Amino acid sequence: MALADVDPAAYLKAHCFKCHGETKKSGGVRLDDLPSDPSKDAERWLTVRDQIRDHLMPPAKEPRPVDKNTRELVSWITLKAGARPARLPNQGNLIPHELLFGAPAKANDDASPSRLWRLSPNGYVGLLNDLLRGKVNKGQMPGGMIQPFNLVDERGIRDHAGLYSIDEPTTEVLLRNAAAIVDLQVGTGTQKNNNNPELTAAYRAESPTRKQLDAAVQAQYRMAIGRKASPEELGRYWGLYEKCAEGGDKAGAVKTVLQAVLLKSDAIFRSEMGGNSADEAKNSRRMLAPLELARALSLTLGERREPTLWQAAEAGKLSSRDEVSAHVKRLLYDPAFSKARVMNFFHEYFEYHRADEVFKDRPKDFTHEPRTLISDTDQLVAHILATDKDVFRQLLTTELSFVSHLVKLNKQKQLETGPAHVPNNNNKGRKLVEHVYGFEKWPTPQPVTLPKETRIGILMQPSWLIAWGTNFDNDPVRRGRWVRERLLGGTVPDLPIGVAAQIPDDPQRTLRDRLKVTREPQCWKCHQRMDDLGLPFEQFDHFGRFRTTEEVQDVPKPAKNPKSKPVITLKASPLETTGLVTDSGDPKLDGAVKEPREMIRKIANSDRARQVFVRHVFRYFMGRNETLSDARTLQEADRVYVQSGGSFRALVHSLLTSDVFLYRRLNVVAAN
Amino acid sequence: MPVQTTRRDLLKGITLGAGATLLSPILDQVAARASGEARTSRRVVIVTQTNGFSPRHLVPSGVEWRNPNGRSASARLTEVSLADKNLHAALEPLTLFKNRLALVQGLSSRIALGGHSTNQGCLGAYPANRGPLGPTIDHLLAQAVPSVFNHVALGMSGAGLLNYRLSASGRGQATPVICTPELGFRTLFGSVAAGQGQRDFDHRSNLLDFMADDVRRSRNALAGEERQHLDNYLAAFEALHRRQNEIAGMRDQLRRHAPNLGNRLTTTVTSTILEAQFETGAAALIAGLTNVLLLSSGGGEQNFGRFPEFGINDLHAIGHGQSVGNRTYEDCFVELRQFHCRLIAGLATRLQNMREGNGTMLDNTVIVYLSDSADGHHPSCYQWPVVLMGNLGGRLRTGGRFIDYPAYGNAGHRTLANLYCTLLHAAGRPRDRFGVTDPGLRDLDQSGPLQELLPA
Repeated sequence: MALADVDPAAYLKAHCFKCHGETKKSGGVRLDDLPSDPSKDAERWLTVRDQIRDHLMPPAKEPRPVDKNTRELVSWITLKAGARPARLPNQGNLIPHELLFGAPAKANDDASPSRLWRLSPNGYVGLLNDLLRGKVNKGQMPGGMIQPFNLVDERGIRDHAGLYSIDEPTTEVLLRNAAAIVDLQVGTGTQKNNNNPELTAAYRAESPTRKQLDAAVQAQYRMAIGRKASPEELGRYWGLYEKCAEGGDKAGAVKTVLQAVLLKSDAIFRSEMGGNSADEAKNSRRMLAPLELARALSLTLGERREPTLWQAAEAGKLSSRDEVSAHVKRLLYDPAFSKARVMNFFHEYFEYHRADEVFKDRPKDFTHEPRTLISDTDQLVAHILATDKDVFRQLLTTELSFVSHLVKLNKQKQLETGPAHVPNNNNKGRKLVEHVYGFEKWPTPQPVTLPKETRIGILMQPSWLIAWGTNFDNDPVRRGRWVRERLLGGTVPDLPIGVAAQIPDDPQRTLRDRLKVTREPQCWKCHQRMDDLGLPFEQFDHFGRFRTTEEVQDVPKPAKNPKSKPVITLKASPLETTGLVTDSGDPKLDGAVKEPREMIRKIANSDRARQVFVRHVFRYFMGRNETLSDARTLQEADRVYVQSGGSFRALVHSLLTSDVFLYRRLNVVAAN
Repeated sequence: MPVQTTRRDLLKGITLGAGATLLSPILDQVAARASGEARTSRRVVIVTQTNGFSPRHLVPSGVEWRNPNGRSASARLTEVSLADKNLHAALEPLTLFKNRLALVQGLSSRIALGGHSTNQGCLGAYPANRGPLGPTIDHLLAQAVPSVFNHVALGMSGAGLLNYRLSASGRGQATPVICTPELGFRTLFGSVAAGQGQRDFDHRSNLLDFMADDVRRSRNALAGEERQHLDNYLAAFEALHRRQNEIAGMRDQLRRHAPNLGNRLTTTVTSTILEAQFETGAAALIAGLTNVLLLSSGGGEQNFGRFPEFGINDLHAIGHGQSVGNRTYEDCFVELRQFHCRLIAGLATRLQNMREGNGTMLDNTVIVYLSDSADGHHPSCYQWPVVLMGNLGGRLRTGGRFIDYPAYGNAGHRTLANLYCTLLHAAGRPRDRFGVTDPGLRDLDQSGPLQELLPA
């Protein structure tokens, strides 16, 4: 990346040396001795980068550098310092957007690092389903088994390959689950299972032969790992059997062997090492082996093994990009294939599904049903995906909505739709869920067009507004952060140590007014990146209802009886919904907005926000943060998305047939 | 959440965990006994209870409570003997052990400020919202007084089987609190309780040995960084197998002390879960399985748990001052604290009933009781009330005292980190700095142990 207008040395000299020079060394930091090549002192240079990127430096009292220069310098330092990608998914934006989309990326032998990826919690349930050929529920595991795995508590995308390993207590759970699984497989558990003839034959034999045990091990390999055991492996399992059988408990010995297969790292880690093709090995990368691809595709799009992929891999028909492409298309368009993992992307990206984690007092005159609201938004996302046109823009700006909409199968297995909640005694006098959307009566048919110029898109669905609010109020700060990070691709520093972030609790003032505490210079350094992007959503109250005034408490009036408490009444305070987009990276986006719909429409139409969306899709489906060398893949995915008229399927297809999905970089094998 | 480390780090950790000698701790004890040297263990029990610990609960009768705006108001150190005082009603169940208590008021740990819990910040004395920034005090103590299980963490969580929010063995290395009695029991006493007894135990030993070998093979077939992905998994099997051998040598002892939990193994009643976990924990100490026990009641983020059996369904609501029926929120807080104090008193009684050397096991133990949410539902962390019981074989000076340190910012003010340094001094791993220092106290010396709690 060329630095068009900015000279790093001149920039530092102009904005940093006055305080961080040889004499003053403010805060013990000196920068005039930084080597001109950032790779020579990456740590210090990256600290400088983070400070200027988030506008923490130079301080507000000093002249502010030109934003464009700052962005270029941030990109330059990132390039030169050779930064490793940040590990946590929500740190992905640390790679400046300009470096990925700024200039056309050249073709390169793209590949991902080879890796082991621990199964996700849902992937583990999928494994159980493969092993038990049954319907194992996420909520209720069979036979006293428990979920051994969990995901980081961070907001946003959570299942990245580099984040997880297996520790001792988890291993203890895996051991116990393995015992329970084998009990079910051989029919000693609570359920009879006659689907495993090889396993039961070995288990029930008075003294199993080597042949019987080998057959049982092979069957277990097929179910747990999806490949055959090698003769060497079979030999070791026989050894384990003989050792366990010494005590006389032969059935127990067979069970121990079958458990050992379930605990193999191949079964609970998704292995993506690349095959051993000799001619490709001359290059620096190799393609995933067919069985690796079968598993990778199964778990990228679904949650358990997809049999057709396995058949193709075993038949040698999953070893070229075209073959992969055909299967990806098949799965994306197959209505019978569960789209749970695709849907989960939209949960992790928007996070409206957290609406029922926000505890609220029961409103007096209407019903608050966060689960119904979440279900409505789920249906809206599914509707937009089914149409598969202009998906990103539709998600942000559609005027349609489902409203308290229930879809279920009746006894004749026909789809029935209707209101999620009908008036009953519990709702005595309360308005029903449709009231929150601005309807007096339950509208039909659905999706229905919302009352004009009230709300558009997912970000104005009640579910999203509630999920990004607090128990008693809206949360402009976190909403603004969401827009900054997930639409504009920007960053916001973490809350500084020792800051007790509190908005003053004064019921006589509007939230916007009370939030002015963040305009103190030391707060505003960071809050200028959030608050003005979140404040337009003040258009809605914290239950997600459209409003034109904000209710605040009036000045208490003395009661008639002097002994009584003063009378408190509510009054309507004028509502302000303005906001401001700054430092977005796209000059066309920057500027004041009057209300949330204007802001979101503007952003939804921008190339930058669309590209940032592509970056998030990449992170989710690749299971890692993007790096500088992924620029070509990202640009290509964006191009395909645009050319296809905004097809989400085309976007995912592009990513899953890209070099970075198919190829793994070869490591230099250390002499061992 | 388990996070990658290098195998070298892991091995280093294991070596440290196993103590300074090459002998395993058990062999070490056997050797010590054989040589006629009476070696008594030192034990630390840390009990955390979520949703805050009101500083008011620490103040005994007849002592003025000075607490404007959540801050202590005392400008100087106050020490009061508990001999002629009654404990606050909330701590009443501890009365029997009054002469072993030190009620420590006025320590701060503003650095750990968090929303509803300070997460690892409570035991780590570092910021709450950045994941584990370093080892928590329980793990450092575990290194000081190793055993078969260096560290045992049992508890109850508002969410899930394992709670990864309170404890950490190092930076980025959160470790779980086991939150069901069944898993707790099985982890510690499974070897002597399984139906088939000996055979199942042997199968397990063989399986662990085989798996360690199997994972090692897979690991060795990898190159570079991916190799590290399997390090924790391999270390887990190695540790489990090693422990299996040690436990095999302790069979009689374990059988004698294993708790009989019956239906409580699978209970879903919160208070019964806690009772069972305290019982398992006490048994683990008595059987010599561990010397460091962390018992946690809820904690981490908003995982308060619920106590429907006491009619208290929503700890968040009482934290916000809501009453339950005709009980005020404070009534509820007192009731919950009394329940936890009864559990602590029960544990202490069991230790007191076990002879050890010339005294009892309780004589060689210290129980530390505090909240991961400091002084309240939304903690200020200007004060972090702590109850200490026991003197760790005379290495601490508790002795029935209420100690109120000078308020935040005043000369002589001390922090939770200083308390942790004190525990490390007493446990034989002295250090004078712990966690991250509070920038708000930059004018005060934040180093060193609390002299008031160390023997003269």
